[in-house]
Amino acid sequence: MITAQTSASAEVTAIDSAARWPLLLLLVSAIKWLVLSGVLALIASIQLVQPTFLADCSVLTHGRTVAMQESIFIYGWAANAGLALALWVLGRLGGSPLRATNWIVGGTIAWNVAVTLGLIGIATGDATSIAFLQLPRYVQLMMVVAYGAIAVSGVLAWAGRRTEGTFAAQWYAVAALFLFPWLFTAAQMMLLWSPVRGTMQAVASGWFSQGVWTLWLAPLALAPAYYIVPKVTGKALPSYEFAPHSFWCLLVVGGFTGGRHLVGGPVPAWIASLAIVSCSLLLFHYFVVFMNLRAGFGRGSTASRLVAIGLLAYVFGGLVDSITAFRDIAAVTQFTFVEAAQQQLALYGGFTLILFGAIYYAVPRLVGKGWASGALVSAHAGLALLGVALLVVSLLAAGWAQGHDMLDEKISFPAIAAHMRTWLLVAVAAQGVLLLGNLLLFVNFLKTACPSAAAPAENPFRPPATMEATAS
Amino acid sequence: MKNGPIFFLGLFTALTLSWAGTVLLSNHQLGALSQYYDENESAAFPLHQPGLAARGQLVYADLGCAACHTQQVRRPDFGADQARGWGDRQSVARDYIFQSRVQLGATRIGPDLTNLAARKPAYDADDLMSLLYTGIIPGTKVLTHPPYKFLFDERPVVGQTSAQALKVATPAGSQIVPSERAQSLVSFLLSLKNTYDYPEARPMPAEKKEGEHGAKKEEAPAAKKEGEKK
Repeated sequence: MITAQTSASAEVTAIDSAARWPLLLLLVSAIKWLVLSGVLALIASIQLVQPTFLADCSVLTHGRTVAMQESIFIYGWAANAGLALALWVLGRLGGSPLRATNWIVGGTIAWNVAVTLGLIGIATGDATSIAFLQLPRYVQLMMVVAYGAIAVSGVLAWAGRRTEGTFAAQWYAVAALFLFPWLFTAAQMMLLWSPVRGTMQAVASGWFSQGVWTLWLAPLALAPAYYIVPKVTGKALPSYEFAPHSFWCLLVVGGFTGGRHLVGGPVPAWIASLAIVSCSLLLFHYFVVFMNLRAGFGRGSTASRLVAIGLLAYVFGGLVDSITAFRDIAAVTQFTFVEAAQQQLALYGGFTLILFGAIYYAVPRLVGKGWASGALVSAHAGLALLGVALLVVSLLAAGWAQGHDMLDEKISFPAIAAHMRTWLLVAVAAQGVLLLGNLLLFVNFLKTACPSAAAPAENPFRPPATMEATAS
Repeated sequence: MKNGPIFFLGLFTALTLSWAGTVLLSNHQLGALSQYYDENESAAFPLHQPGLAARGQLVYADLGCAACHTQQVRRPDFGADQARGWGDRQSVARDYIFQSRVQLGATRIGPDLTNLAARKPAYDADDLMSLLYTGIIPGTKVLTHPPYKFLFDERPVVGQTSAQALKVATPAGSQIVPSERAQSLVSFLLSLKNTYDYPEARPMPAEKKEGEHGAKKEEAPAAKKEGEKK
């Protein structure tokens, strides 16, 4: 076993060292938001079993807590971490050090200031009450500009790449960089600046919230996954010739799932039908991702195992989404915790676990030394897996009971709440486990990234020689 | 994917297609939906919201009420919405045309509120104020709603008790008075009454019942026709 010091530093190239500080800034912001979002998620889940909890505090009504938690999970954690890894992948595959790194730093600061202001806005009564777009409109313009500044570097790395051919990791990263600003400004225009009429708002908001997942977050997660799996296994991806079809399937069909949650709602039925069909068509994408990256499911380091389990959750989440979209199933699951379970499976199981794995893989290469504590890495990985599993299972069980109870008009709402109580308590525990795990990640990240940190402990990764020998 | 501009164009097309296919197309169908004029009643429906109710809808949005309550009644064979007394007909797009921020909601941790003011027995302002303050459903002893005491002021009684004071136990010499926000919120909740029976909201004739899709799809052209007539 090679010691951590030599192994990781042997791998640090000029490409990584140029990107070190900007990307670490993005990552530290991301993990800080993740911890804060965990605190809010814990509060919100306690409020579901104990309605009086913090009810007196106008800043933390259940609705506002949920809005803040959702906003900082997506625009705090997912955006910062996803961008950091997308830029890292683009830099490495582009073959030259990232340019315009000052833009990344400026953009990151502006983005996080905007998210903080937006959070204060929600707490003081400016929430928009639109899913995934809760931040008040006065910070959204700043977010678009800041996002553009961060993305400049990725676009330059893509445009100035040394190789003529491109890799799947690059497609997904570039797609996410480009599509989000369009999606975000279009949604703002239609919903906040010049709102469309009546239930069109529900249609536009559905198009946006599904787009956030299929056109932005899913590509942000797949970019590092498509980069890391072949690096770790050292083999070409099987069925790689299908990867472009799967990519375009996600982008073209994904946006049409917008009416996914409007089944039975006060909109023309074709909107929901189109979304149900699209959810089924997307299974092709999920299937190809599984075929391409199945090699990652073998034995490996904590990092590659997290990526592999995240991919499994990603594929499974897509499957659950397409099943619960059907009208017969939706009649039971619509408006219940089953939908929350599906969302958590995708956002926490799929996106977040893949990103955890990617962070464990990328950070040692960025800082030039192994993680400060291998024990903390294993502890966090274990807690994250346990937390996600508990959360998804408990929400599914609670939602299934809730859905069946709701179909029987004789069962009152207090009775439904009583039936779900046990499962919702498990969900509270799950949020606690996740929060604890993320705190460990935060501590370990700070210890690793701080320049003055002491000599690192054991290296949780396989010797780099086996990985670097097969650089793509 | 070697060709940068074509790749970029592909990304742009993918996004634009889905936008056009979902948003633009449905806007073409729903965007110009207008009131339905009933000659028998010499009135057009839906009615405009009263000003206080429109303000209350913003309170509803900023407190995040939609995190637990929906505002949509589904058709009789889809869920037990109507059996639960949430409405006598399904909600249709026309119900919402005057709302500045439509909040259909996605979770039913609490009951649907579309027709709150048309419930039997109906809630009055006192009931809703007391529900918001104590969290206890009127007529029961179960606490299921968070008690939002911050929407109310505790004031000393000077002279007479305020006409708006809540009928709850308070320390001697003080009273609980709803704030302006509480009043507009309750006014909004009491304006939620979609009882007018539009032609597009009527159930389909029995012979079309065999295909769920067929039955549901009829709603769209019907709604469109009505929109064009106006």
